[in-house]
Amino acid sequence: MTDLAGGAPTSRDPAADGPSASASAPAARRRRAGGRFPGWAVLGIVIALVVVGPLVALPASFVGEGEAFGEISRTLLPRALVTSVLLGAGVGAGTLVVGGGLAVLVSFYDFPGRRWLDWALVLPMAMPAYVLVFVVLGQYGLASPLQTSLFGNGLQIPGLRTPVGAIVVLTSVLYPYVYVLGRSAFLGQSRQALDAARTLGCTYGQAIRRVAVPLARPALAGGAALAVMEALADFGTVDLLGIQALTSAIYRVWYGTFDQDAALQLATVLVSLALLMVTVERLVRGRARYHQALGAGDAVVPRPMRGPARWLAPLPGALLLAVVFVVPCAQLVAWSIETVADGTLDADLGRAARNTLLLGLAAATVAVITATVVAYGQRARPSPGGRLAARLATVGYAVPGTVVAVAVYVPLVWVDRRLADSFDGQLIFTGTALGLIIAYLVRFHALAYFAVEARMSRISPNLDDAARSLGADRTRVLADVHIPLLRPGMLAAALLVLVEVMKELPATALLRPLGGDTLAVTVWEATKDTRFDTAALPALLIVAVGLLPVIVLVRLLRRGDWESAAAQV
Amino acid sequence: MLGALAVVVIVVGALVAAGGDDALVIYNGRSHYGDEAVFHEFEEATGIEVELRGGTAPELFERLRREGDDTPADVLVTTDLANLWRAEEAGLLANVTTPELEANIPPELHDPDGAWWALTTRLRIPVVSTERVPEGAVTSYEDLGDPRWRGRTCLRTSNNEYNQSLVADMIAKRGREATEELLRSWMANDPDIINSDGELLAAIAAGDCDVGLSNHYYLGRALAENPDFPVAPAWPDQDGAGAHANVSGIGVVRGTDREEDAIALMEFLTSREAQDEFTTGSEFAANPDVPPAEHIRDWADVRMDPIAVDEAGPLLDEAVQLMLDVGWR
Repeated sequence: MTDLAGGAPTSRDPAADGPSASASAPAARRRRAGGRFPGWAVLGIVIALVVVGPLVALPASFVGEGEAFGEISRTLLPRALVTSVLLGAGVGAGTLVVGGGLAVLVSFYDFPGRRWLDWALVLPMAMPAYVLVFVVLGQYGLASPLQTSLFGNGLQIPGLRTPVGAIVVLTSVLYPYVYVLGRSAFLGQSRQALDAARTLGCTYGQAIRRVAVPLARPALAGGAALAVMEALADFGTVDLLGIQALTSAIYRVWYGTFDQDAALQLATVLVSLALLMVTVERLVRGRARYHQALGAGDAVVPRPMRGPARWLAPLPGALLLAVVFVVPCAQLVAWSIETVADGTLDADLGRAARNTLLLGLAAATVAVITATVVAYGQRARPSPGGRLAARLATVGYAVPGTVVAVAVYVPLVWVDRRLADSFDGQLIFTGTALGLIIAYLVRFHALAYFAVEARMSRISPNLDDAARSLGADRTRVLADVHIPLLRPGMLAAALLVLVEVMKELPATALLRPLGGDTLAVTVWEATKDTRFDTAALPALLIVAVGLLPVIVLVRLLRRGDWESAAAQV
Repeated sequence: MLGALAVVVIVVGALVAAGGDDALVIYNGRSHYGDEAVFHEFEEATGIEVELRGGTAPELFERLRREGDDTPADVLVTTDLANLWRAEEAGLLANVTTPELEANIPPELHDPDGAWWALTTRLRIPVVSTERVPEGAVTSYEDLGDPRWRGRTCLRTSNNEYNQSLVADMIAKRGREATEELLRSWMANDPDIINSDGELLAAIAAGDCDVGLSNHYYLGRALAENPDFPVAPAWPDQDGAGAHANVSGIGVVRGTDREEDAIALMEFLTSREAQDEFTTGSEFAANPDVPPAEHIRDWADVRMDPIAVDEAGPLLDEAVQLMLDVGWR
């Protein structure tokens, strides 16, 4: 669920490593230009601060009246914290084993179906975990009006409603993070290192275990860190399975006791955990690049397998794919067809689909604008403060949607009550699409920013200089020079934000403009209401939307461009 | 850039306008999936346009409270009495009484001042497997704490408003200590915690557990769908207080300028015609002239113990805390 198409231009262009190359020239120019007010730079910083503002304000919840962690939080927090940490650890270990194991298998061994499995293993990324949970719960055919359950009535999965069940569900859709990064790292390794190990007496398997896997450790750990971040942010799975993690505890405190300070305090704890994972990810991925640079020489050639092992090798991957992707999709299609044929299709589906699309489009447009302004402000006048603001504004992406919703809601209510008088008693933000779009912006601005910034850093500063020497001001340079060149980056940014917003559940569920349900909320609510027939088609649509960026990724993989693919994850 | 801004303005405009200005806005806690039909009948009968805005009862209460005088809502419909009580207590509901409403709804099913009116009655009762639980094995809420059900119990999360109302009512009637003891006996059976009543019934049918707690109409619906559904109601305390009865109800939001239309809606929803529609979902009508649905008609003879809302309401927070304290997830 991270940057899928946005990083693409970066990784193929060595000159695009960072803004530093383009930064020095404008800086020199500005000195020449004298002390004109740097409008774009200031605007960029202001927007970046607005985007990150609600999150920075979170810890303030500890300051207000009342003690920190009221009675409810004190009861809930320890258990929820333990559950969340357990979920994170389990998903980390699970994705390492599954994703790492599959990456090793596909990278070092050749067997029938390998080429196909190679890219197909990425597909489960398109399946939001809450959709998978819905499909599994829907197998309890007895209470649902659906009769076409693929497993007959009452497929039972013991322990599904425990943290272990949630770990299994989350692992099965999050392992691709480790798989893609691991696969890319293995491809970057040299055959010589393996050969050297073998001349020292290792078997092929030992050489992989002792040389190849340790070399790829940072990449694998980086992928696992991303998966853990997603697991910590998950709300739909834990809520539908009745497990009390931090995300669901926040929801429960808010609507169980209406104690918002307590909800904000829990959110602060969750955000701290998430930021810890970001730090871990930054650290290990930084090292991953270093390690890959060591791998000069010929690429590893997968070794053909012999005997029965040859036919067993594709089974784990194929089975996994069948269970977490192919069968659930087939089930969704079967249910959708059944509801359409029965005429029991939810009448509000059209409205939910339209709401989802409109929200996605609006959020995507706003995010592309903020991303462009922040990136351009940095370009117009780079400064350490500006760089820090721009970086801070990307933190939202690591923050769970539940937290973003809580963080955005409180200040918006405050603003709203003050604005209401001048707007004829109309509430502008809370309970409207606008409030939700702001939450999406806080959460997904980073996606757009990475994509736009990567593209902008490839535009030569000479173009800016030329345009300005012809008398164009900064605004005209942006409008007439940059924006036409930025178009592919802006489109990629818009697509990413659009897709993420359309899949987004937790913030939407908390802030939704009442009556404006989205596809994700429909799936969630209908699943809670055991109306599986209502949820089927919206769930299918969500998977279809989620497939868009995955298809982009798969196309890169099929071209063998694992490095770009890894950069996109 | 200007083009993009135009897109945003249009999109946001479309979303904001989606409501339509002259619709009667209803904050509706009842399910959107089936239960909304009766509102459409009201539209057809009166020509008054209705806009349903959904959410769980606590979400709607929170929203209403935050929006205060500026709320767009004209009517609040909840799935439980506790949240109507909360809204009344917070001064969010207007007092409304008309002769027709009084004719439709008996005095025990509406607020004496008219802040809320019941639409349906719903019992929260023990349910048991017909295949693995002998008849008469469960005849009270206490029986769910019998050690014989260790590892064989399913309960919905303590986050659920029906459970919270039940526990608050228990504290009000049995006292805090007896309630805590009861809940601890339930927890000692290490129940599976499930997210919805429908799923809980399915879990009993599928053999995951033998006994549980559910609102009666979920079971009624399952039986309507499949008369051989292997789960039965275990009517509690029939020699004593009776089965815990909650209500789904309606109230007019204070300060609305659509009070007349809101009253028309309330009178329509409590009329025989609309109440009949409610019973198709296996709920009991609040209007005493309307019998339960055909397939559960004999359920009407069950002894009920209506929630003592004025005593239980203030105990809701304590109930939530108690449930967490005893380890009810």
